[in-house]
Amino acid sequence: MNKKTDMPVMLSKPIEAPYTPSALSYWHILPIIAAMMIIPSLAFSAAGDEQLSPLAVLKNWIPLLLEGFVFNLVISVCAMAVGTAAGTALGLGQISPNSLMRSGSWFVTQFFRNAPWLVLLFFAMFLLPFEFSIAGLTIPMPDWFKAIIGLSLPVMANVSEIVRGAIRSLPSGQWEAAESLAYTRRQTLWLVILPQCVKRMLPPWMNLYAILTMATVLASIVGVSEVMTLTGRALSAEGGRPDLLAPFYGFVLLLFFAYCYPIARYTLRLEKKFAVIN
Amino acid sequence: MIGGFLTTLKLSAVCLFFSVIIGVVGAWLQGSSFKWTRRFVNGYIQLFRNTPPLVQLYFFYFAIGTLLPTVENDWGGESPLLGNFAWAAISLSFFAGAFNVEIFRSGIEAVPKSTVEAAEALGFTKLQIYKDITLPLAFRVALPALNNNLVNLVKTTTLAYAIAVPDLLYESNQIWSDNVNVTEMMIFLLIAYFVLVGVLVAGMNRWERSLKIPGYG
Amino acid sequence: MKLRTLKTIAAAFVAVGIGMGTASADALDTIKERGKLIVGVKADYIPYGFLDTSGAIIGIEPDLAKDVADKLGVDVEYVPVVSSNRMQFLEQGKIDLMIATMTDKPDRRKVVNIVDPNYYSSGTNVLALKKLGLKSWDDLNGKPVCGIQGAFYNKATSQKYGAKIVAFKGTAEAYAALKGGNCAAFVYDDSAIVAKTKDDAWSEYEMPLPTIDDAPWGLAVQLGEDAFATLMSEMIVDWHKTGRILELETKYGVANTPFAQAMHEEYK
Repeated sequence: MNKKTDMPVMLSKPIEAPYTPSALSYWHILPIIAAMMIIPSLAFSAAGDEQLSPLAVLKNWIPLLLEGFVFNLVISVCAMAVGTAAGTALGLGQISPNSLMRSGSWFVTQFFRNAPWLVLLFFAMFLLPFEFSIAGLTIPMPDWFKAIIGLSLPVMANVSEIVRGAIRSLPSGQWEAAESLAYTRRQTLWLVILPQCVKRMLPPWMNLYAILTMATVLASIVGVSEVMTLTGRALSAEGGRPDLLAPFYGFVLLLFFAYCYPIARYTLRLEKKFAVIN
Repeated sequence: MIGGFLTTLKLSAVCLFFSVIIGVVGAWLQGSSFKWTRRFVNGYIQLFRNTPPLVQLYFFYFAIGTLLPTVENDWGGESPLLGNFAWAAISLSFFAGAFNVEIFRSGIEAVPKSTVEAAEALGFTKLQIYKDITLPLAFRVALPALNNNLVNLVKTTTLAYAIAVPDLLYESNQIWSDNVNVTEMMIFLLIAYFVLVGVLVAGMNRWERSLKIPGYG
Repeated sequence: MKLRTLKTIAAAFVAVGIGMGTASADALDTIKERGKLIVGVKADYIPYGFLDTSGAIIGIEPDLAKDVADKLGVDVEYVPVVSSNRMQFLEQGKIDLMIATMTDKPDRRKVVNIVDPNYYSSGTNVLALKKLGLKSWDDLNGKPVCGIQGAFYNKATSQKYGAKIVAFKGTAEAYAALKGGNCAAFVYDDSAIVAKTKDDAWSEYEMPLPTIDDAPWGLAVQLGEDAFATLMSEMIVDWHKTGRILELETKYGVANTPFAQAMHEEYK
């Protein structure tokens, strides 16, 4: 591999030892979060002793908060499914032979990639109707459904880029070889190109899923009853005690960490595994 | 409205600056020979990468913000040392910084060991090697990923809305709750962010091209 | 050229947004057919509507809504609303009835059918540290004042008295910001503030200013639902007559408000 460069210092092979994140297990992080939850509330403990301790209050609300968190996960899975389907179509549009299709898909992708998630969510919340009427049939559109749509828009744009990138990263020889075997464009795409892309797309796709999961709390700002909304309501039901904030928000942090960290580790493993194959 | 736009710009600029600093320092600490320093940095990265930035923001502002000493303020009360803008800046910098550490680290890894060894042979100190040899090279390698993250950061500044930092989104929200012109404001907002981020992306791409190491990567 | 494409896309989205709206039959029939009354109430506003640990919504307004459902002989379902979306929810038929601490305003009467007489009343006041020694609303000039997004008095407080409004989404955030010292005061409904000052944890705080904008609250049904409105009107008169509202105030631990007492006297 002789590359032409004006910076010969960069030529030799990158150092051999790949980065191995020193195995941080849950047992390293859990105490940190626990400390984050407890220490701030200690600072307030002097006030009022007939009140329940912050952790006791939190314990009462945990079942409800967990329910809310499950709702977050449902939203994330649905938005991911919708976003992936739409994004794949859009990504294929970006490499379409039709130039109008190509630039249209490119524009839509860029538009939704550049808009902040929260703004898109507001957009979906306020501008989608509360219910649809199709042929006399009224289909209600609840908030969580709108949140799914709002969140799937940026997912779609990102998936579109992932698909495009993965297809572009394949050597053009693959296309030419398929063509010489008299495959049609569609056959080439579905039988030759996409199967090879899946492996390349998986790690960034999982990263995107983790980001999406963390973005589901944004739905609280627009009023969906997910874990952050419920946390806010629980806090106000307890009369806005300031010593409760750290344990409650700390608990939400913990929930997300417990869910997203394993995904991140697994993604890293996949990345390494596929890197060897390619 | 213009005030909101300026706040968004200011918040973005402050966060960009500090998150890059955090990235550089963090990546350096990660190469430390002390086990606990490395562990600490890793813990920081994992914690901030795997929890929602919005919850981090709330946690910083409401939980940690109330613990800090208060100062006498101009209206005769006692307000916390740091206001909502400062907390938004801190929280978002830490969030983006966690990503930047990893980005710089991968850049540093791309710098060949022999280059570092050559510098050592020439009598450079560890800090000098990092500052004068490794970092400039790593920076150029890491630039595309860094830019991507910084663009994300600018989009993430909208979260500051939740703690009432008067940014573009917050100001727009005030306007549409007063005048019930949600549709127009919404379209305006989308276009405004599209332009803002578009300009940033275009600028970053140019910079990327001009700093690209020819033939590498 | 880009901008034009953008506008087209935006217009397309808006067009989708407009293609909605349903003409419902008489609301009472719909409710009975469905066997369920859907009521929009607050879920973060002690004592009018808040959550218990099981996630159910309780409070004065949910209890009133339950009375209505009992009268109609149907079940009740609560939909949590916030100030910024409650009228849209009703307008679009997502809820049948809204009892959500809404101040009765002429411009709101154009959008929804606010039922007479009013069932409750409150004004605007602030919660602030005693040691700040606020005397008049003008003392708020230039100071940061916490508020709730979508509340009508935010604008008045900032324009008339020059306060810098820092608006949060929910009451928990606003109370926390006040206690944390991020705001000099919290502008809110006086009835809620009175309840708060009785709380031990808030003993250092007071409601120092004269209440302004004392205005009645209205519960509302959709425009054009006259039969339902008449029924609700009878319900409200009945609540005042029997002292139901006074009773609920006591149940949820708030002092009886002058308005509720006066209405009880009037209809007794």
